[in-house]
Amino acid sequence: MKHELLQKLSEYVEFGKINQSSPYPPQMKGELGADELTRQLLDAGVEAQEILTSGLMPGMERIGLKFRANQVFVPQVLMSAKAMNAAMIHLKPYFASGAAKQKGTFIIGTVMGDLHDIGKNLVAMMVEGNGYKVIDLGTDVNSEKFITAVRENPDAVVGLSALLTTTMVNMEKITKEIKEAVPGTLVAIGGAPVNEDFCKKIGADAYSSDPQGVVEFLNSKVA
Amino acid sequence: MIREFNFKFDELVIDYKKIESILGYTSGQLPPPFNYYLEEALTEAKCLADIRGCYRVMDDPVILEKENKILINDEVFEVGKTLCKEMRGSERLAFFICTAGSVISQKSETLLHGDDPVLGYVYDVLGSSIVEAAGDRLQSILEQKVESKQEKITNRYSPGYCQWPVWDQHKLFSLFQGSTSGVSLTASALMTPVKSISGVIGIGKGVRYREYTCTLCSGKACIYRKIRDGMQIPLV
Repeated sequence: MKHELLQKLSEYVEFGKINQSSPYPPQMKGELGADELTRQLLDAGVEAQEILTSGLMPGMERIGLKFRANQVFVPQVLMSAKAMNAAMIHLKPYFASGAAKQKGTFIIGTVMGDLHDIGKNLVAMMVEGNGYKVIDLGTDVNSEKFITAVRENPDAVVGLSALLTTTMVNMEKITKEIKEAVPGTLVAIGGAPVNEDFCKKIGADAYSSDPQGVVEFLNSKVA
Repeated sequence: MIREFNFKFDELVIDYKKIESILGYTSGQLPPPFNYYLEEALTEAKCLADIRGCYRVMDDPVILEKENKILINDEVFEVGKTLCKEMRGSERLAFFICTAGSVISQKSETLLHGDDPVLGYVYDVLGSSIVEAAGDRLQSILEQKVESKQEKITNRYSPGYCQWPVWDQHKLFSLFQGSTSGVSLTASALMTPVKSISGVIGIGKGVRYREYTCTLCSGKACIYRKIRDGMQIPLV
């Protein structure tokens, strides 16, 4: 029964079913949502860690894979993230008390000169939904802000985002300065104009064309 | 001379099909809650009073194709190869600024980072459509104006795209002597309100209008390219 409910929770996250009153998705109208089911699972004695790893994360992973395959667009991923957040409200006290643990810390920001943040936000949501603590520095972020955040969060991985060919060049400077200030820091990059070659050229550690790729990189290095 | 305009939402031609495509659905197929969200955003957008735009036509541009630059007065715009080519034959250049205004920009940002990112995204997409529609309107006004002189216009091009660096916006804005339709720049050349555009349009008897196609841009993961390629498969 527990496994069935965790499976159902993962579907609620995957399809963005937030709570019982939510009309979305149409095929789940009238059902419970991630909000109520998470509460029920906790009340039934299921550990927060298990709810995260066996309920929420598989749902986020599946929506991430669908997004990669162009089977869903941004709004559907945002609905999943919203369902995830509804569940996380119930789990946060367990993370705060140490009863449940996140995998690691991910610091993300859109590089200086660029204010596009939808892609960055998607990555942040997806990474958080896969069990990481996320520190979102926002847009137009310079090296200094990234370095300060890394110093405050040792072992955190940094994610740099840019949408414009004219601002992606700032990634090189920021990557270099982060690695000089805090040697060993891993830097992942993403955004429409960048690619694997550019990643290698600027000395970053990973490039991903979609949010799920960032999760996979983090899992390979941190988890 | 700087020409300034206030636009009403109802006089703009909003591309609803494109909005629905960006949201991941085919025309008329938006399910709840996206249809409600779009309806809510549209109702609010109809009351917007700060959709504005302006342009300034500058004579005698020097287009240096080998150097990928355009000279206007004493200002050098590092526009890049593609834009130099697109501006070929321009006898004058119209620099422009347009904004969907601070109301929708702030609403979108607040929701995106707050209670309802999905609704915030709908406002974001609508805000982008509004500012592009304002750009279309401005372009149309300019086109009508130059037609009387048997001149034509190019499409419009913006800093940040086609290798034209965003920091050139400081030079572009300086041409407007403070009359920038309420749009300001940060030190790193970002526009406030967020839902704003700026750029240039070529004018002349020998220029040609080309649709802004994906071949001009290197962004392979861009949502518009995905839509163009028919990749949007909506329903989860």
